[in-house]
Amino acid sequence: MTSELRNVVQRLAAESANGEGLEAYAEQTTETEVEAFEGRVERLTSASSSGVGVRVVRDGRLGYAYTADLSDEGLRECLAEARANLDVSSEDPGNVLPGAEAYEALEGIFDSRQVEVSAERKVSLALDLEARTQAADPRVTKVEAARYGDVIGQVAIASSNGISGAYSLTQAYCYAVALAGRDGESQMAYAVDSGRCLDDLRIDPVAAEAAERAVRLLGASKPKTRTVPVLFDRQVAPSLIGVLLSGLSAEEVQKGRSLFADKLGERVGAPGLRLVDDGRLLDGPGAAPFDGEGVPTRRNVLIDNGVLSGFLHNTATAARGGATSTGNASRGSFKTTPAVSAHNVFFQPGDKDQAALLAQAGEGLLVQEVSGVHSGANPITGDFSVGVSGLWFRGGELAEPVREATVAAHLLDILTGIVAVGSDLRFTTGSIGGSSLLIGQMTVAGS
Amino acid sequence: MLEDVIVRKVLGAALATGGEWAEVYAEDRLSHNIRLEDRRVEELVTGRDRGAGVRVVRGTSSAYAYTNRLDEESLLEAARVAAAALREPASAEVRDLRRRTPEVRHPVAVDPAGIERTTLAEVVRRADDAARSHDPSVAQVTAAYGDVRQQVYIANSEGFSTLEDRVRTRLIVQVVAVRDGVVQTGFDGPGRSMGFELLDQFPPEEVAGRAAARAVAMLASKPAPAGEMPVVVGSGNGGVLFHESSGHGMEADLVAKEASVYNGKQGRKIGVSNFNGVDDATVAGGWGSFAFDDEGTPAQRTVLFDGGVCTDYLSDLIRARQLSIKASGNGRRQSYADVPIPRMTNTYILPGDDDPGEIIRQTPRGLYAKSLGGGQVNPVTGEFVFGVVEGYLLENGQVTTPVRGANLVGDGPSVIAAVDALGSDFEVKEGTCGKEGQGVPVGNGAPTLRIARMTVGGTGGAA
Repeated sequence: MTSELRNVVQRLAAESANGEGLEAYAEQTTETEVEAFEGRVERLTSASSSGVGVRVVRDGRLGYAYTADLSDEGLRECLAEARANLDVSSEDPGNVLPGAEAYEALEGIFDSRQVEVSAERKVSLALDLEARTQAADPRVTKVEAARYGDVIGQVAIASSNGISGAYSLTQAYCYAVALAGRDGESQMAYAVDSGRCLDDLRIDPVAAEAAERAVRLLGASKPKTRTVPVLFDRQVAPSLIGVLLSGLSAEEVQKGRSLFADKLGERVGAPGLRLVDDGRLLDGPGAAPFDGEGVPTRRNVLIDNGVLSGFLHNTATAARGGATSTGNASRGSFKTTPAVSAHNVFFQPGDKDQAALLAQAGEGLLVQEVSGVHSGANPITGDFSVGVSGLWFRGGELAEPVREATVAAHLLDILTGIVAVGSDLRFTTGSIGGSSLLIGQMTVAGS
Repeated sequence: MLEDVIVRKVLGAALATGGEWAEVYAEDRLSHNIRLEDRRVEELVTGRDRGAGVRVVRGTSSAYAYTNRLDEESLLEAARVAAAALREPASAEVRDLRRRTPEVRHPVAVDPAGIERTTLAEVVRRADDAARSHDPSVAQVTAAYGDVRQQVYIANSEGFSTLEDRVRTRLIVQVVAVRDGVVQTGFDGPGRSMGFELLDQFPPEEVAGRAAARAVAMLASKPAPAGEMPVVVGSGNGGVLFHESSGHGMEADLVAKEASVYNGKQGRKIGVSNFNGVDDATVAGGWGSFAFDDEGTPAQRTVLFDGGVCTDYLSDLIRARQLSIKASGNGRRQSYADVPIPRMTNTYILPGDDDPGEIIRQTPRGLYAKSLGGGQVNPVTGEFVFGVVEGYLLENGQVTTPVRGANLVGDGPSVIAAVDALGSDFEVKEGTCGKEGQGVPVGNGAPTLRIARMTVGGTGGAA
């Protein structure tokens, strides 16, 4: 399947001139998305696209260009642009290409059944998901979105250093957004499932979860300001982890934008707390045999028993910092130079489910939705202040719903404040797995 | 970009299964992006992206297929894939494609494609130097310049085609200032639908100076108070608030799905009598401007609030027909890989008569939210949260202590109802608006304004 892409990148890599490192990274994706609304297919999208990015390094300088035009002329122009761009870039010890290293294939990321799934089945799944979400509770007034999507992707890379690799992957997901209403009030919530194939998706739990989460917010009011234990549920935990994670990238550390810059080897969380990124974990959507510049992926422990134990590196940050790449070079697409990001990151699950954690905390706030994370959380300064909605709990039981509240604290205090991680770890569509996170005390501000 | 004779064949194939109308959207995009960080020109990236999509529409259902091969066979295949979503006998024909003439233009004085690479490197270096010389506390500077030339061709089976050349340029400077262990950031990022002349209007030194001043001012900040209080919002930033908390709720897809707090509010008086809001894609050189939207509808100015009364919604072709309203020219998409949906363009709260300084003097206690970061809104309830990136306490009608970590929390209609002063000044902030995973350039503008009471989230205890 990947032979055409392999051909493109190998032809480009062979063009490298003396003293020049040259890497070509190509992608091809075929995607389908079906959206149901009121019993009909509201939107069906089907796509195929491909492109290649060329990275040239010479004398510590970098040049980059990309094109979606894979004709001989398109590739020639792209290479010429990359070389010309190199001339104005500054020297940087990070501008080097990785050496070739054998990688182990990861067969589990490609499910051949997905290639054969008919358009009819994709449409039926979206329609069924909508109908079941609507039927899940009489207080569901509308299903705002019911969507099925899939991707069949291929990646190929080749470089003048002898790197040569390719893989294919499949992904399928579905999600529902339920609206619940009563007496003119309306609340919204979503649920999602994902897998390597349409056959992996379970729509009844998605329908039930979306409906339940919307319905239970009905009657929510703005709370009085209090300081209580706060439990972030597994759907919102990834937003919180995402803010912390940016500071664990060596790129952010080297550029003075990380809270964790001088904390390697120091205690940053309670004993037993462990944060892991595993590029070969098949449960996570970010699994791949090699990273965005051809370095084999592996399992990296970032926080070990509460102590900060490592940062994520690509080849550039490793070269700058005298370290070794952790296999975390990421490509947003063929349009971008390699950045640093996690594959499948998660807190090592504990042994209590959400109900047991609520019982442990006794009284507090269960947060089921956060808003304003991209503006209210600053991974550089550590300021964290977001809007939340959810439910109070008392005696370990869920009680009245809450909206228009804010929680604010310093990110490092939130991390050290994690008293328990739930056993309910789940990956959906993003690179961060979510499990319940119980924070000892936080100020919940309302009126 | 594509030949009419091929396009007519493609549209014909798209309508073979009962589509009421069909459309071809093709685009060719050439971009240059240069970024300086840590005193180094990290990268200059040239990108060429192109592709085309075929859309078949019947009622509110649509099927879309795209490809980045622009030959006849690939386009016909995309048309067949999209048409396969319908199973009816053909009912519509392809009419003669009449080329629409643009009513507004956004002229380019200096074509960015002709600028030397070394000049681009100078732009970001000048910004870096200016930010660093602004104050010794400036520890890190990121400066990025980007330009894009996007050629867009659209053909619709109902008998029209458009061709537009859009050029956008933007300079972004982000500054990190550090003093006594306190770290603060500042940002400025003007962008326009124009050429390299952007930098005559916004010299890199001035952009960098503003970003640095914001970061430095916040070094002396204390944690923001929490609770309800009057909030004066700095010029321009009220536009960001308006965009997020009301503009999205006035997008016709959310209205049609009854998923908007503005559903059924047309004709109702919500704000004070001098509260006027518009969405205007015709603004000359505006960051969110164009000649035609991404469905070929000419750019328009749509009144959202007139004298405090909620007026028109923002629609694309599908929603305009569904709701029997005028297509307002708000069908936008990120690229050929996306279907158009109702989006804002340049969304403004129009200025009032109050002197901005007087608004502050007439506010004995409260928060001056001089600059807001991004925000997020739940369009169903209208609830939003905004980070205040540059904020100060208001005490005895004076701007006093800078405060950090403040958050504005509320809902769109209540905030509009609570606006009780509108300044005579006006400013626009540029940004990228995200919806359904698609980012499009938008301008948000407003005068200095006061919200009589709103919830402020902060870590500094009750106000």
